[in-house]
Formats: sequence, C-alpha cells, structure tokens
Amino acid sequence: MRWIKFIIATLGLLAPAEYAIAQAENALAYETVEPSRIKIGESATIRVTSFGRLKDVELPTIPGLVFGETRRSEGFEFLNGTPIPATFIQIRVTAQFAGEFTIPALTPTAQSIGLDVVKGDEPNPYVWPSQIPAPPPPVAASLPKGVELQAGGAAFVHLAVPTRAVYVGESVPVEIELGLRPGIVTSVNGLPTLTGSDFTLNNLSKQPERREQVIDGSTFVVMTWHSALAAVKAGDFSLSAETPVTAKVSTLSAPDRAVAARLAWPLLQSMYNGIAPKDMTIGSSPSELKVLPLPAEGQPRNFGGAVGDFQVSSDIAPTSVAVGDPLTLRLHISGTGNFDRVDSTMFDHLDHWKTYPAKSSFTPSDAIGYKGEKVFEQPLIAAQSGAQTIPGLEFSYFNPNTRRYELAQTPPIEVTIAASLASSSLSALTGVRSLDGASATGSTQGLRPDHPAPRASVSDLRPLYFRGAFLAIPTTLALFLAGSWFAVRPNATRATSKAAERVLAELEATARAGNAASFFATARKTLLQTFAARWQIPADQISMAELKVRLGATGEDVGQLFALADEASYSNYQPGGADFQRWLSLVRDQLADGRA
Amino acid sequence: MRTSRMAMLIAGLALWAGQAFAQPSQPSQPRYSAAALYNLANSYARAGKPGLAVLSYERAELLEPGDPDINANLAYVRALAHVSVRPRNRFIRLVQATNPTFAAWLGVLGIALVGIGLVARRIASRLLWIPDSGILLGVALLALAASNAMLLWPRMHEAIVLIDQAAARVSPAPMADTAFVLPEATSVTMTAEHEDFVLIRTAGGLSGWVARADLGAVVPPVGGER
Repeated sequence: MRWIKFIIATLGLLAPAEYAIAQAENALAYETVEPSRIKIGESATIRVTSFGRLKDVELPTIPGLVFGETRRSEGFEFLNGTPIPATFIQIRVTAQFAGEFTIPALTPTAQSIGLDVVKGDEPNPYVWPSQIPAPPPPVAASLPKGVELQAGGAAFVHLAVPTRAVYVGESVPVEIELGLRPGIVTSVNGLPTLTGSDFTLNNLSKQPERREQVIDGSTFVVMTWHSALAAVKAGDFSLSAETPVTAKVSTLSAPDRAVAARLAWPLLQSMYNGIAPKDMTIGSSPSELKVLPLPAEGQPRNFGGAVGDFQVSSDIAPTSVAVGDPLTLRLHISGTGNFDRVDSTMFDHLDHWKTYPAKSSFTPSDAIGYKGEKVFEQPLIAAQSGAQTIPGLEFSYFNPNTRRYELAQTPPIEVTIAASLASSSLSALTGVRSLDGASATGSTQGLRPDHPAPRASVSDLRPLYFRGAFLAIPTTLALFLAGSWFAVRPNATRATSKAAERVLAELEATARAGNAASFFATARKTLLQTFAARWQIPADQISMAELKVRLGATGEDVGQLFALADEASYSNYQPGGADFQRWLSLVRDQLADGRA
Repeated sequence: MRTSRMAMLIAGLALWAGQAFAQPSQPSQPRYSAAALYNLANSYARAGKPGLAVLSYERAELLEPGDPDINANLAYVRALAHVSVRPRNRFIRLVQATNPTFAAWLGVLGIALVGIGLVARRIASRLLWIPDSGILLGVALLALAASNAMLLWPRMHEAIVLIDQAAARVSPAPMADTAFVLPEATSVTMTAEHEDFVLIRTAGGLSGWVARADLGAVVPPVGGER
C-alpha cells in the first residue's frame, strides 16, 4: 500500500510536467525548404524549428519523394533578448518524379510547404526570362561598430555620416541602414527620420536597397537608404535616425521571463502565450558631426552659397543669326555638391544683349542628387550686328576639399550677327551700318559726331520758369508796373478831348441828316455840361445873364442857340445847311476853349 | 520820396535775384551742358545702352532744343531701339525750338512791355500807337513764353526706361505681379512715388509701378540723381 501511495503521489507531482510536455508538442514551430525547386534526383533540405522540446517528427509518405532525417539538435533561440530553448531538425527530401508536391506540416503548429520538381533545365515559369538570377545566399556579417540590436534583438538602425568636418550648406551623402528579422518584425511603419532640426535631409526613396545578412547566426533583411544631408548652422551636433516598426515581443515582465527561462521547457507555454505584436520606434546610436562655418575671408562678391566641387562649360546655338533673332546660351555645371544653391546670377553681366529669364534643369547621376549636372539655358537677342563676343561666365563656389573659394570660368564665345531687315531699312535711310562710332563718319552717317568741349554749364536742368529765384523777377516787375498804373493819374484834357470829338461827330451826323431838333438839343446839352464843368456850377443854374457875363458877345450867340433848340423842338424849325455849320462852329469853338 | 523808395525796393530785389543766379553750385552738384550731355549720349549709344543715351539726349535737348545734331541722334537711337514717339505738330516744334532760358527772359521782357505800354497809354495824349505796339509785342512775347512753359511742364515729370524688359508691377513691392514690361529707352510720365517705386503712365495710357533704379528722370531733382 505504501508503494501504491508513493506511486500515486509521484504521478500527481509529475502531472503538471506531463501537461507541459504535452503542450510543448503543440509549441510554436515553422518549417522551410531550400531550394524550393529541384530537378529529378536532386535533394532539398527541410528545416524544422520548434520553440520547445520536440520529441520526434513523423516523416510523411509522398509518392515521388523520399524523406530522411539527417540532423537533429537542441539549442536556444533569442527572443526579446531572452534565450528560449528550441529544437532544430533537418530532413533531406530527394525527388524521384517531376511535379509540384505539397509536403504536409511535420509539426502541429506549422504550415505545409511546396516543392517543385522539374525534369531538366526547363525554365522556371515563375521567373521572368530576363530577370536577374537569384541573389547570392546571405553572407555572414557582424553588426556595424556602435550599433545595438533593439526590439528584442530583432532590429537595428545604423546612421552612417561622414567622419570629417563639413561646412554650412554643404551637401554630404549619408546612409541609413535598417536591419529586421523577418517573422519577428512584422512591419515597417514609416521611413527613417533624422532627429534634430539643424539639418535638412533630402527625400528618402520608398524603394531602398535590400539584402539579406546573417548577423550572430540570425538572418536579417537589411534595407539601406541613401540620401544627402546639409547643415544649416555651424557647431558640434549629435545625429541619429529612427524608424517606427511593429515587432513581436514578449508582454511578460522581465522577472517573469527570467523565471520561465529557468524553468526551461516544462513551462515554456506561458512564454509563448505572452508574445504579441507591438508598435515601437527604434533609433540609431548618436553620430557626432562637426559643422564649420564658411570662411568670410576671400569670399567672392558673386558667391551664392554653392559648396562642392564643380566644373563649368558653355555653348551657344546657333552661332550665326540676324539681329533680333534669339540665341540660346547654355551653361553646364557638373560635379558634386549642393546644386540647389547653384543659380543663374552669372548671366547678369551680359550687358550688350537683350536677355530673358533663364531656365534650368538638373540631371542627377546618383540616387540622391549629390552628383549630376545642372544646365542653364539663357535666351539672348543681339542688339547689334557684326562679330560679337559673349563674355566668359564666372561661377564662384566653396570647395570643401581645398577649403577655399574657387572661381570657375568659361571662355568667351564668338558669334556672328547679321543685320536684320529692319536695321537694313534704317541704315538705308540714315546711311549707316551700326551704332559703332568708328563706322560713322560725317554728319549724315550714323551718329553725328561729338561736339567741342563746353565752356559754360548749369547746375540745374529745370527751365527758368520753374525756379523760384527767377519767378521773383517777373513777379516784382509786374507788381511794380501794376502799382505804377494805379499811381499815375490819367490825362484829363485827353479824356475831354475824346468826349468832345465824339459829340462833334454826333452833331455833324445829325446836321447831315437835317434833324434840327436833335442837333440843337445835343448842342445845348453839351455846352451846358461844358460850362458847368468849366465854371464849377450846376448846369441848371446857368442862365442867359450868366452867359452874357462870362462869355460877352459870344454869350448872346449861345443864348440864341439855346432858344433855337426850344424852337426846333416845338415849332419844327428847319435851318439851312449854312446855319448848321455856323452853329456847329460855335460849339466846336466853345469845346476847344474848354480844352485849352 | 515815394519814387526813391520804390527805386530802392526794385534795386534790392534785382540784387537778390542776381545773387541767386550767380551763386556758385555746391561742389558735389553735377554740372550740365548741352555739349557734354550730347557727347555722353553718343558714348552710351556706341556702348549699346539706348536707355542712357536717350536720357542724355533728352537732357541735352532741354538746354539746346534747336540743336540739329541732338535731335538727329535722338531720333536715330530711338529708331534703333524700336521706340516710337508721338509726332509733334508745327506749332509745338516752333515753340519747343526756342531755348527755354531765352524764352523765359522774353517773357520778362513781355511783361515789361505790356506794363510800360499800359502806363504810357494812361499818361500819353499823343502817339498812342507806340504804347499800343509795345503792348501788342509784349503780349506776343508773353504768349510765347507761356506756351514754352506749358509744353515744358510735362517734361518735368518725364522719365526714360534704362533697362530692357523693365517690369511694371501692380503694386509698389518687389514681389508684386508684373502688369506689363517696358522696352528700354521708352519715355514714360511719372505720376507718383512710393519708397523705391515710381508710378508711371505710358503714352498708351498704361499705368504701373516701376523700380526707381530702372528709370532716369529727364529733369533730375535738385541735388543730383536719386
């Protein structure tokens, strides 16, 4: 009985271990076959990797394929930096018939695999005839210096920058490597990015270079991006790159993983259940980069910020045109450097040519635009006919290799400009051929000759009218003359004389017309006004007695004229022509006496 | 007494005006002469700079309007630059052929003749045809001077485009859109200024803001070019 109790107790204690072993039979496993296409008689290798102890696998029976286990080993796979026991089994499969075979999974958690057996050298229908042959098998390599595995040893990022000091604005090639273990890293969620804002990075290609590498016994897919980096200011900087990925990692805490690892295979299931995909960002180790400022000494005036090693050349087409026809001057700048800072300011000195805005195009000779050729096309129109010279073009840049500013020049270009139809017509009219003074002789050809040296000059081109100092003269003169006009009294005698002449003319007219009433009335009125002005008394106070006293005998004649005025008005008196002249003479004499 | 005060006033004004004209210019101020400007314009024309050539010819023409060499070379350079100008009628040619300085003094003489004629006519009783003739002549001289001044007034605001394809922008800013471009040696009228830009109007009625550096005023401001 005692033995029975002991046996039952032992079995009870071993039950969990047996359960664990039973679960381990269903542990995570995967299978691969290499190569997946073989000829009849050749063999392929099936590799079975199982996390946990795998007691044995049952080899399948497939007509045309012969299986045989060739190797079996137990070791550790590293997951999240934790060694996990694993079983590795290699099985050789030899083909006897041609065909496409499906080999069922050898472990419960694995998936079936396919094998293609061909008769001879017929082409692979799954490969394009022109496709490059399969890449060589992965080569063993070690991690770059200073690079650490991340995501539980499933990924790494490496940023390769120049070890030398660079200059502000200089474009330098950089390389970003991202290594991933397939199966563990399930996806890359974005392109690598630089940390820090003191640099600019050219756009990264969405199709990086890919290769497989075996690092520390594990196969990594390594993706490499090439780009160019430029610093925006001087100083010592620390650079790193980072990439978002999704990787299968253990969700267990570090102590739990340690306990599970110590318990080894009997309790591994808990670890397998703790593995789950997780989004994370992996980064590279910092790389130091020293950025120097561009030297101020020796900087050319036309320096536009180009840093690199450049060569320039130029050409023009066509080389023979007429005045007014366009030519295209091309400037080729090739080499390495920051082509985005290479501009067209070198065309600013084409003084004798009519120019239009230049166009530029850049043709890179590498994937990152660090090397290449930039071509500027400058349309030109000649304004003068004859043999013309396009001056050499100058381009200044800073060469980081020689550490100084350099000047690249193109040689002058000779072109022949024929006279245009319009110019010919003009020349025919004016008798000249060009603006050139050397060909213009005489006063009727081309430009007329220069004048002798001037003797006098002025400091102001404004006409005198618009100068305040000058305007003071006519203004003063006008004011003075206006004042004089007001100050001078008009000549009274002259004024009277004119009035008398008007009256006498009127009297003569009425006498000729025989209008006695009007004649005598006008004569009486004129004489009364004259006497009133002469004697300084009102006209209505002049009586016959006053006339006789002041005029004597003439006063009686004047009185008779006044009486005839009344008579002519009331009795239609009509004197003869001699009478009119007599009375007119009397009035004239009296008016003349007044002027005198 | 009254007459002597008036004479002293006139003498003082004449002395001040004479000093103002006779005052030597500042050493930094440029000196202009028709011959020097004409020779300078010829040099620009030979160097293929029609804008500067036309500007200098225009300035020379201001000082010597009737000079046939200036007018011939100005027309020649304008023709080569494919720049057209409005033809002037006979009256304008006659008036503008008069030297502005001479015309200005003729205007002063006209004022004097008109004023003296009016005063003489007020006091004279005989030979009135003499002041009447003086007044008539004075009015004619005044009309000539006024016409000359009126025709010269637009040229006070005239400018020449100094570069080819000068951009006339919609607003006085370097990044403003270009409304149209002006050929070199084109004559434009300046109507307003704002910082480094000048609002111009072309003979065709187009208006736009042009960089001050792209223009040359025919009559530069006092103190030299801006």
